[in-house]
Amino acid sequence: MSEAAVIIRLDRPSRVYEPGDVLSCEFFVEGLHACMVKSVEVSVLWHTQGKGEEDLAVHQFHQFSAEDASCCDPLNPQQFRTVLPNSPLSYRGRIIDIRWCVRVRVFLHRGREVVGEQAFQLGSSPRVAAPVPAAATVSAS
Amino acid sequence: MARALRFYGKKRGNRRTDSRQFGRWGELLFFCVLLVVGIGGAAATLLTVVLPEWRVNHDFAAHRCRVLDARLAKKESDDGVVYRPEVLIEYTLDGRSYQTWTFDIAGAYTADRAAQEARLAAFVVDRQEPREYPCWYDPLDPSVVVVVRGYSWWLWPLSVVWGAFLLTGFGGLVYTGLHWGRSVEHRAVLAQRVSPGTLLGNGHAGGEFPFVPSDSDITNSPGTHLKYRLPIGNSPGWVLMAALIAAAVWNTVVAVMAVVAVRGLLRGSPDWPLVVFLIPSAAIGLGLLAWFVRELLVTGAIGPTLVEISDHPLRPGGCYDLFVLQPGRLTFQQIAVSLVCQEDATYRQGTNTRTESCEVVRQELLRREQVALQAGAPLQVQCQFVVPESSMHSFKAPHNSISWKIVVEGSAVGWPQYRRTFHVVVVPRQRSRAT
Repeated sequence: MSEAAVIIRLDRPSRVYEPGDVLSCEFFVEGLHACMVKSVEVSVLWHTQGKGEEDLAVHQFHQFSAEDASCCDPLNPQQFRTVLPNSPLSYRGRIIDIRWCVRVRVFLHRGREVVGEQAFQLGSSPRVAAPVPAAATVSAS
Repeated sequence: MARALRFYGKKRGNRRTDSRQFGRWGELLFFCVLLVVGIGGAAATLLTVVLPEWRVNHDFAAHRCRVLDARLAKKESDDGVVYRPEVLIEYTLDGRSYQTWTFDIAGAYTADRAAQEARLAAFVVDRQEPREYPCWYDPLDPSVVVVVRGYSWWLWPLSVVWGAFLLTGFGGLVYTGLHWGRSVEHRAVLAQRVSPGTLLGNGHAGGEFPFVPSDSDITNSPGTHLKYRLPIGNSPGWVLMAALIAAAVWNTVVAVMAVVAVRGLLRGSPDWPLVVFLIPSAAIGLGLLAWFVRELLVTGAIGPTLVEISDHPLRPGGCYDLFVLQPGRLTFQQIAVSLVCQEDATYRQGTNTRTESCEVVRQELLRREQVALQAGAPLQVQCQFVVPESSMHSFKAPHNSISWKIVVEGSAVGWPQYRRTFHVVVVPRQRSRAT
């Protein structure tokens, strides 16, 4: 059997959005039969990367099961849209990065799951200025 | 391909390499054990002590008995010998005579022999002419009788113990149940619903700028020259107080040790390890005292710093006026005011929580050389500055933050460098929509 994969397509090839923009995306699952899928979760979220513990917050969350008559077959292309918030903007810093993404998690039977993720940029990507001479400091408690 | 189940693994903060499945089952088992212990303990206490004592106080019938004998019963336990008082009584009920050793219904033993003897002393044994005392018998079984009623005081602390087990076990099971089989995104959504004030809700904006700290504590203080007076981030008064407490506590301990050491020396039996330990301790105490005196002089000589700003919150690309007032009685080689952006990342390493900080923007707003401050003639300067166009807004999450601040720094010959910070909030700039 071929490897299962979640394909996520955003409406903008550049994947750059401004606060208040509508993000539209389409996703579908490859390499699976419909009967293997228990449920699907779709999230628009940001998370941090870098030195610190990861912070994560979900802006939009949808969950639907394969048996749910109100939803479509998750193996067929699904549409999803949301209005993006004003903050936090995407950011690449020295010790902190803030990354936005659309994440689709497909739950299969017997506890298995397949995850797909498509990153996008919120805002005009503030960047840190030229390096500051002062060294980083670490304090412990 | 799925990994084999790992029972242990490396851990740095929340980043774990062990099996989540094994962790979940372990968590479930742990909370189940706590709940079972709590239920078992509470049930045992209820059945063996609480209910019998309640029945004695409410259901048992009052009667009279004669005390024939008294003794202090004892037995061996893990805590040594434990005691309880017992009296031999005789009473007649419905024509039938009963004779039994009894006291209270709990029948608890304690190690406090004197207390138990005091309880026993309330009953006088007169073998020639036995005295009468009140007693209470069980109407369902008249052979069950007591000569003391009431409730055991130790039920209250015991109830707290079982209550703690029950609450922790039940709460943990609810927590585990809510998280069982849920993805990290689903758990984040649940957490956001529980604390919407700090996290953005499920698609509902928590304020205009989610995860940007509030500026309410900045804009609630009007300035005298400009619109807002900024609150100081690290008050010199607190540093002075910390130095005072540290010096006082440490030197008190050292003084006590010194008294013991000197007495030993005078008696001719010196405690040399104590004397050796005392020397570096006294040196540290003097250092703390010097720190306190220095902070006292700095606070008195430099005075409070006032910073006011023309508008708030700040926006990237925005232009603002800044007013700084610095009283004091010193001649500074230089005083500089800077706009600083700093990243702070908090992580756990073992049992320690560490915070790494990194300045990513430092923009000097003004600098004055050779500034002579005198009483009644403070330094007053005003300047304009622009927040860098491409800079990041303020951001605050549980473990990561990006903060902006105005930093006033100065140095004088023979004095320590002083630095005072005033936090400001930068929000994302408003987009110019073409729509």
